Amino acid sequence: MPQGRRGKVNYRCPHCLFRDIDFDLLYDKQADQYYCRRCNWEGTEHEILFMYAVYKRRYKDMLKRYTVEDILAKDED
Amino acid sequence: MDKFILNIVHRPELLPEYIDNDAREGQTEQFDKPEVVKESLDIFRLQQEIAHKNGLRTTIQMSYSSLYNDECIELAKKYHDEYGDEIGHTFLGLNCKEFRKKYKSKEIAIWLFPMDMKKQIVVDSFERFKEVFGFYPSSTGSYFMDAELLNYIKERYPMVKIAVATCFEEGPKVFRHTNSSWYTLMDGSPWTAWIPSKENTHAIAEDEADDIGIVAVPHLSRDLLAVMDNAGDMYGTHPQNIIRGLIYEGDRLPYMYNLVDQYQVMKKYNKGFSYNLVYVGPGWMGKNGRWEANGRLLKKSYKDFIAYYGKLKRENKVEDMTMSEFADWFRKHQPRSGPICGLWKDIIYGTKNQVFWYADSKFRVQIDLKQGGAITDLRPYASKLSRPCGAGTKANQDASYPFIIHSRYRAGAFTHYAGEGSIKSCKVRYGSEEVDLSSCRSTGIYGEGKGCRILNVRPVEIEFKNLVIKIATTYTFKENTGEIVISRRIVDSSDPTAKVEVDEFLTSCWGTNEYPEDLTGSLLSITNRKGSRSELRYEYRCRERFMEDVERVEAVIPQVQTKVSLIAISKNCNGYYEEGYSFAPNLKIGISKKIGVKQELVTCLKVEGVK
Repeated sequence: MPQGRRGKVNYRCPHCLFRDIDFDLLYDKQADQYYCRRCNWEGTEHEILFMYAVYKRRYKDMLKRYTVEDILAKDED
Repeated sequence: MDKFILNIVHRPELLPEYIDNDAREGQTEQFDKPEVVKESLDIFRLQQEIAHKNGLRTTIQMSYSSLYNDECIELAKKYHDEYGDEIGHTFLGLNCKEFRKKYKSKEIAIWLFPMDMKKQIVVDSFERFKEVFGFYPSSTGSYFMDAELLNYIKERYPMVKIAVATCFEEGPKVFRHTNSSWYTLMDGSPWTAWIPSKENTHAIAEDEADDIGIVAVPHLSRDLLAVMDNAGDMYGTHPQNIIRGLIYEGDRLPYMYNLVDQYQVMKKYNKGFSYNLVYVGPGWMGKNGRWEANGRLLKKSYKDFIAYYGKLKRENKVEDMTMSEFADWFRKHQPRSGPICGLWKDIIYGTKNQVFWYADSKFRVQIDLKQGGAITDLRPYASKLSRPCGAGTKANQDASYPFIIHSRYRAGAFTHYAGEGSIKSCKVRYGSEEVDLSSCRSTGIYGEGKGCRILNVRPVEIEFKNLVIKIATTYTFKENTGEIVISRRIVDSSDPTAKVEVDEFLTSCWGTNEYPEDLTGSLLSITNRKGSRSELRYEYRCRERFMEDVERVEAVIPQVQTKVSLIAISKNCNGYYEEGYSFAPNLKIGISKKIGVKQELVTCLKVEGVK
């Protein structure tokens, strides 16, 4: 099997990310597959991006802008 | 006062870890990498240009390696002359060939060297700074600087007036986040500027005699709610934090503006003052990107972020200062021993959650409003624990200030089977039913009184089978006394004749992380109003003691030189202590009383140092 290398994008393992561990994935060129040396996750770039999107769902207000006034208004809630 | 002050610190490291790692991939370590040095300096120049373009001045913290780079030295002088930027000093960025040759050490963290080497490096780098610039720096910094190091610097170089002295809430959570490889184990400091004690950097100074002589600022200004249960390195005033946390979509990062705006709101709780620190090196803005983010996004995020401060400056909403200017301002306008407060609201998870933080010379307290206003983290600054770190010390890498309550590291309101976790909360009993207030979500209202800060917890409703009551909680922090007066008042009841038992309790332990520490030898005691006293030494034997008409219940934890007491202010209270056992390694003290509608139980939680 070929040597694992960093892929064209330095993705972190999505499985490890879900348990708050940053761990770089390696890329297997022959299999066109990313894999984690820490856990047992392996998958395609598409699967990584899908899991990242799921990860981001924890931030329900990720794209919401809270101004000073908005935050002060929370005092009155 | 209406003052929101900004420090922007740029750190021209020449072999920053991320760019260096990229360049090193597949190669052995080398120090002569002109392409890395060039890229780092280009990024430093860009960061400076971004700040200046927005009308903001910076503090340039010269690293060891940059003090040996002629181009960097000339750049620093030029920025100082043209823009009034401060030339300061940092202990970050030690990794270079000059350092390796001289010290023959691969250590990168100043706080982890043995003390003799710390001193040597201080003198070496400060003297080199003088040689290069003709004066000594008045600001310095690192990710952490223990009190022994700061005391030494102040004694040897008294002109130093400010330091980046710690990373707020970078402890076990960040360690785990970095695959257990980033040794910034330093939980427990204030979240904004403070004057450290001579005994321990984390602790706020008691008085002039205890004043270490510098103003300390934390590396970055962080989200006071998100850091409670997450690694802090994803939620701070540094776009890289936010990108690391995947808190963005495309090139949109509104959260970084939300953070700044919430820090503006902090003025409301600190008599008109708030502070932000932006503290960046070049490594994260490399052309190869960082994590999944490409170099273009990284650069854009910094441009957008600093442009926002520029806009605030034009609107007179923020004042940029250099670090030393800020130190002078802080000395003149802020009390030495605090207090500092923050009622922080969720701006990221889409909840109504809030947390209240309080710190003065006696403690740092975190109150989780979604847990009914329970105290979920308490660091007893009153003990002023002498806790040097680095090679040759007992603590070594563990630079955190120990807690005596930590609900996330030590279970808190929820355990899987036996015992109770560490928390300061309240239980309400009616007949055979029992409800812990930590299960009742609420929000807070901030107030001030003479010599005190007040947190009112909005009333929560408790439903028993045949009774519904509403309980309001008030915390009154008596500034710099170590005392918090806690009132639990029944403001409404479905049965005006019914009485419930309100049990004000504290489940305590000590430590700096998740694993239990030895409580053997802790002293539990209870005293009633007639002076009768009962005590026991902790031996994990699950013993307990109850007393009527109690005056106070106490626990002395010698391992952290701390005494914590619950004092009955209301009359005719019962009290108790519980020893705990090895599967539930805590101690518990409590005071209870039966009360009805419009009545209250008032107690005082007191934290003292015992040397």
